[in-house]
Amino acid sequence: MPRFHFDIHEDSRLIPDEDGQNFANVEVARKEAMLTGASIAREAFLAGSADHVVVDVREDEHTPCLKISITLEVEELADD
Amino acid sequence: MPSDTIRAALIRRLRVSSAITDEDIKEIEALPISVRQYPAEMAVVRDGERATDCCLIVDGFCARSKTIASGKRQILSLHIPGEIPDLMSLFLHVMDHDLSTLTPATLGFISHDNLQKLHRRSPEVAEMFWRDTLTDAAMFREWIVNVGQRPAPARLAHVMIELRERLRLIGRLDGDSFEMPLTQEQIGEALGITAVHANRVIKQVRQDGIVEFNRGRVTVLDERKFQELADFDGRYLHQSPTL
Repeated sequence: MPRFHFDIHEDSRLIPDEDGQNFANVEVARKEAMLTGASIAREAFLAGSADHVVVDVREDEHTPCLKISITLEVEELADD
Repeated sequence: MPSDTIRAALIRRLRVSSAITDEDIKEIEALPISVRQYPAEMAVVRDGERATDCCLIVDGFCARSKTIASGKRQILSLHIPGEIPDLMSLFLHVMDHDLSTLTPATLGFISHDNLQKLHRRSPEVAEMFWRDTLTDAAMFREWIVNVGQRPAPARLAHVMIELRERLRLIGRLDGDSFEMPLTQEQIGEALGITAVHANRVIKQVRQDGIVEFNRGRVTVLDERKFQELADFDGRYLHQSPTL
């Protein structure tokens, strides 16, 4: 089973994933990355600690094979 | 294994939380218990199985969990020595979740038949075990609140403080540190987040100087911040007969 690492960027802060996890294939890893990105983004957006979360998925020491990017956009609308 | 070692943590816990009498202790000491060793991460009783005995944790850590169709697992509760995590199987005959070990464990099995006889002979002991299962339900309520409402770092801190307060009762604290033998994946399963998110939360609480988690041990760095983050009120553990 291939081993995938999920490096997290919250704005400019990088949290590398040294350990990694085994997944059957890249499709399963993609779902896990989405779940991770959405869950970290939810926390970061609510806490106001970041408004851009990126999950870079890589197999072992290879360059990333997948990038998931989530951005918060809040627009205040004029009341007229 | 000597009989008093098998029952030591159970009796210690009941003494503090349930005002157990010497007579009740004699009844529990007379209860036949068959001891078996289990490796780590091994099922003790599975969802859908019919249980014929209840399992007392003599040593080691266990967890109860439920796995959904997609294969994702939710850890429902953590269990430590002196607890009987499947006591409800005495009345609810078919398991509706899994009980498994987290670490290598020494487990003592008490037959339903013997427990029923004890309950009929001693209503005081029966009440004590009833209270035990009610406290169990109170912990589940707290875990629903935890997973449903608290941000992830607070969830982690809450689960940690709960475990610490239960370990305190059986004398298993070691200064500012205590055992929490879970992998990052298992912590994720207890908090309802992925292993990678759990890893991120563990790093954050360490960077914030609150608590350190390393190789299955928790070390508190700042008690005040830890309490504040966890939003912990231990009443739901009912660790005194007056609560």
